[in-house]
Amino acid sequence: MTGMSYDVLREITAEHVDALASGATLLGSGGGGDVALGALLLRRMLQDGDGPVPVIAPGDLSADALVVHAGVGGAPDVLTERLVDPDDCARAVEAVVAQVGGRLEAVGVIEIGGLNALMGVVAAARLGVPVIDGDLMGRAFPRVDQATLAVAGHPIAPMAVVGPFGDTVLVTRSSASAAQALMVSSAAAFGGAATLAMFPTTAGTLAEHGVRQSLSACAGLGRAFLTVDCEAPAAVVAERIGGRLLCEGRVDQVRPRSGRVPGSVTLIDRCSGGVVRVDHLEEYLAVTIDGRSVVSAPEVIVALDHRARCPIRTDEIRLGQSLALATLPALHIWPPETAGAVGPGAYGLHLEGPAR
Amino acid sequence: MNPPRVADLLAEPILAAARVVAGSAGLEREVADVRWWVGEPVSVQDHLVVCGPESVTPSYRLDALVRRTGDAGAAGLLVVGATGRPLLSSIRLADRLEIPVLWLDDAEPVVLVQELTPRVRAPDLVRARTVERLLRQLAPRHTGQDIVAAAEGVLEAPLALVTSDGTNLLGPPIELDDALHLDRPVAQRGRAILVHPVLDPDGNRPAAWLACRVERAAESRLGELAAGLATTEPFLRAWLTAQRAHADRDLLFRARLLSEVLAGRDSVSRDVVEGAVSVGWQLTDWHVGLHLSCDDRTVGDQRTGVPERLRAALVAHGITLTEAVDRGDGWALWSSTEAEPGTADARALLRAVRLVTAALPREWGLIAGIGRPHRGPGGLAETLAEARDAAHLASSHDFRPAVEHSDELGVARLLATWQQSEVTRAFAETALAPLRSNESLLATLRAYLESGGSVVLVAEALGVHRNTVTARLQQVRERLGVDLDDPSQRLALQVACRSII
Repeated sequence: MTGMSYDVLREITAEHVDALASGATLLGSGGGGDVALGALLLRRMLQDGDGPVPVIAPGDLSADALVVHAGVGGAPDVLTERLVDPDDCARAVEAVVAQVGGRLEAVGVIEIGGLNALMGVVAAARLGVPVIDGDLMGRAFPRVDQATLAVAGHPIAPMAVVGPFGDTVLVTRSSASAAQALMVSSAAAFGGAATLAMFPTTAGTLAEHGVRQSLSACAGLGRAFLTVDCEAPAAVVAERIGGRLLCEGRVDQVRPRSGRVPGSVTLIDRCSGGVVRVDHLEEYLAVTIDGRSVVSAPEVIVALDHRARCPIRTDEIRLGQSLALATLPALHIWPPETAGAVGPGAYGLHLEGPAR
Repeated sequence: MNPPRVADLLAEPILAAARVVAGSAGLEREVADVRWWVGEPVSVQDHLVVCGPESVTPSYRLDALVRRTGDAGAAGLLVVGATGRPLLSSIRLADRLEIPVLWLDDAEPVVLVQELTPRVRAPDLVRARTVERLLRQLAPRHTGQDIVAAAEGVLEAPLALVTSDGTNLLGPPIELDDALHLDRPVAQRGRAILVHPVLDPDGNRPAAWLACRVERAAESRLGELAAGLATTEPFLRAWLTAQRAHADRDLLFRARLLSEVLAGRDSVSRDVVEGAVSVGWQLTDWHVGLHLSCDDRTVGDQRTGVPERLRAALVAHGITLTEAVDRGDGWALWSSTEAEPGTADARALLRAVRLVTAALPREWGLIAGIGRPHRGPGGLAETLAEARDAAHLASSHDFRPAVEHSDELGVARLLATWQQSEVTRAFAETALAPLRSNESLLATLRAYLESGGSVVLVAEALGVHRNTVTARLQQVRERLGVDLDDPSQRLALQVACRSII
């Protein structure tokens, strides 16, 4: 964790939900799904007696304590509109626990960017167990095999995919790429989205390979963002959230993605006159200024609407919109050898690095 | 020689289909060489960098390529065979760096580099190759159209043969501009045109100009085109010489044929009939003759063109005439129809000829006479004779162009015959001699006779008082010793007055 320091969360109550949702949106790097419905669900659960949810660090548990990671997967459009049943989250986790055996000590968050930051807490609240202060991505990624544990070679399976009527797919053994494909096809069979449980692991493994303190960081980031004066210039906003402003300008062209080929957004930097291109799939992948990429995945890129001061997802960008682009400090330092899994190359982008 | 600029190369035929997609501010950058893009290791300073679709697919890669070639100081970027369209970010970046990005959808990059390189680095080679190709292509061509078309094909530029006044003889219409000095028989360059004189076979002056439209080109390309025009000129001159020999022979033949028809009238010999058929004359039809002449003898050589211009203009009015036959004092033309032309046709013809001659240059002093319709070879002789008489009368008018129809003559023709007779002239000289010293008396007499003997009208016409007129008339009576109330005397004096105008 660089840049800012945050208060460590001890528990999550209804008061934390707005900050968590806001931080999760920022860390989504323009993707990760809409948090609005998840935030409503979590707040209602915490107000109605499901909480507060204790937050613990992996080191607070015994090294062999069982942790299962919970979340949702599928099409972002469906997840924006279809309310997730917290019981489905619980069912998915229980299916994985039943498969591996032992006692569930805590639930982990798969990705801290976007909706899944909240869904891990939802699952923990419904199961009545603590949630781990950490996640497996440090931002949002489109694929489960881009999680730190998967990159480090830990298995994703046993994995459970649960549909809205309780239909459960249990994958007992799978390679990383097959797990992604099975998750996607099962979610499609369940109407486009499903709840997930995966990465059953021990607290010891998490302490070594997980992204640490990301729930605390997410809530702190969200709080900082929510308290910024809404009249403040973009550079001040970026500074308040510990980030760095890249450029500001009006969107000149929006070229949508086509399948797995990244789309792009073009704008002209108001200050330097530089030509800015932002490549994206579900998330913002890279910012290229004057033909040189200045930031690229796995770094987190935030697009802020100049007026409303809210983070703009990739699917919300419109022609003529005034945007400020910023980058956030990384929650996780990805070693250079993981670039093939989480860098621009993983999305089929071949970029020119910044001038040394 | 100055190196070509990017815009110059863009005007080369091989890049005719190329579009400038960005960076047009850099189109005037000079190009030192053409280079296939292999990355930074090879210096591309001031080069036109050529790359294939792989360097710009997916389209975002063009951003980096523009930046890299820009940093390397390239003069421009030519993308060949790319299917997609460039991203706006690439366009904006190229605009910002002022690197022209040329987009050519369908071309063979290897051929392109091969063709462009000598144009930049060895223009002499290109010129030599063009001349050699021209010579090979032009040698088997015989007609002017073929020669111009073949040269156009080799030079890949619009080419035309035009006269000094801008009339297009061969090829597409090309405007001459006023920056040219067409009085000097040397190759010249106008604003958007190259011209090379095609010398008259009979003298050292230009018969026509070989013109090539060229909007924008490198010096090397201009040199290539100029060499191409110079190479083509002798072929056109040879063709012109042959054409002229043909035409002269043809003219003589027609003139002889017509004189035989006119001499033989209705009993023409079989030879003459065959000859007439061979030049397309329908001797047995109805004919309407037209006699054409011009005052201005200095029109000189151009004269042969005069009847052709008239004929061509009449075609637009739906009137087809035979080719002109030179009869010394003018040209004989006629139209032939199977059915007898009506009076409406005669009026239409007169009107058309008046309109057409009015549109031709006034300084030629055109005079035309039209005959009445007559049938058969004898009829042709008759209508041509009438036409010539009508032209004769028309020539007596003091305005040009003058056109008369023999139908309208009648009295006027009778008078014309009188007025021009020697007897009348001699009478006029003696009868009016006493008034020669006093112009006002002569004018008063003339006005009195023309107005039918009205003192009031004469006073108005001359702007003097009635009494003055009466006094002058009295003087006239005294000087001439004639009785102005005698109709015979009056008639004689009137004819005399007219003949000495």
